[in-house]
Amino acid sequence: MTNSKTQSLPHWGINHKRIALALVFLALLGFIDATYLTIAHYRGGIVPCANISNCEKVLTSQYSTIAGVPVALIGSLYYFSVFLFTFLSITRKNERFLIAASAIITCGFLASLFLIYLQLFVIHAICLYCMLSATITTVLFACATSLMLVKAKNKKLQMV
Amino acid sequence: MKKYKDIIGAVAFIGIIVAAVIFATTPKNPSANDNQAASISNVLLQSGTADAWTKGNPDAKVRLVEYSDFQCPACGAYYPIVKQIVAEFGDRISLTYRHFPLRNVHESADLAARAAEAAGNQGKFWEMHDMLFVNQTRWTFIPGVAGSAIEGYAKSLGLDIDTFKKDLNSGDTRDKVERDYQSGVAAGVNHTPTFFINGKEIPNPRSYDEFKNAILAALGDQS
Repeated sequence: MTNSKTQSLPHWGINHKRIALALVFLALLGFIDATYLTIAHYRGGIVPCANISNCEKVLTSQYSTIAGVPVALIGSLYYFSVFLFTFLSITRKNERFLIAASAIITCGFLASLFLIYLQLFVIHAICLYCMLSATITTVLFACATSLMLVKAKNKKLQMV
Repeated sequence: MKKYKDIIGAVAFIGIIVAAVIFATTPKNPSANDNQAASISNVLLQSGTADAWTKGNPDAKVRLVEYSDFQCPACGAYYPIVKQIVAEFGDRISLTYRHFPLRNVHESADLAARAAEAAGNQGKFWEMHDMLFVNQTRWTFIPGVAGSAIEGYAKSLGLDIDTFKKDLNSGDTRDKVERDYQSGVAAGVNHTPTFFINGKEIPNPRSYDEFKNAILAALGDQS
């Protein structure tokens, strides 16, 4: 209890670092996916998309932009921030970045749920790239949440 | 500055990723000089079809006719060779492209042929022809993507997309492709690509030099 600085870090185990690395990797995947759609949006080209989904219908729907800003671009920025924060949590060995990333991921997860709802029940078409993004965010959410739960548990243990 | 080394690194890395995504998704544009060389004119080369796409000198002594299928890998392999032949011989030959979509084995071949015709209605047959061959592996690789990929090519060629879509499915376009196909059947075409020099089928050359020699021989015969 004499040195509070070192005590904020003791539960940074190797497994936590692995999960943080997984978050970095997933955020990167999501970033590539969203950036691809953003570029396609601004280029005005059409995204090659397998028969099982109807990307064109989704990506050109009125829900594909919010006040002129493509949802894909927001997705890119979201994944970029997640990538940056999780990356910094590793390079700076600082949990605060991870907590910030978890908060952003939670927002992203809720947004993904809404976007899936729009695809299934409003647009009645599915876009593979959007579903891929939703899957990535769901896994991100699961990882981040479990990390936060472990952290909360460790803190409690510490306090006891 | 040292304090932000990791941030700078991360942002630089993301920059590289963005550049890579942009690069990987840019449709390859066929070289510009090839497009300029493509002078489109309708000439009667064989009985039945007066509306075939021809480039080069329509009055050339050597008239090369290609029956081809945009989805056939061999046709894609011959594309750069034929392009080089046209570039080398210039006004001494003409090249006519006729559709021979092998619909039973290539599910998007007919669509691609119609796309070239629809682009041709807007004066960009050869541009679409080049686009389809250059990007062949992209739009044929995953079943089902051809339609949207081809529409993307039409957009990147600056075509009027509504007219393109309408022409793509019009009866006239289908008839045109079918006329080409039937003229091929009549001429005894049973594989793609099939090349004719001055109306006479030649065995598919196995190399650029072999192709060149065949053309040279025909030029010699005529002079």
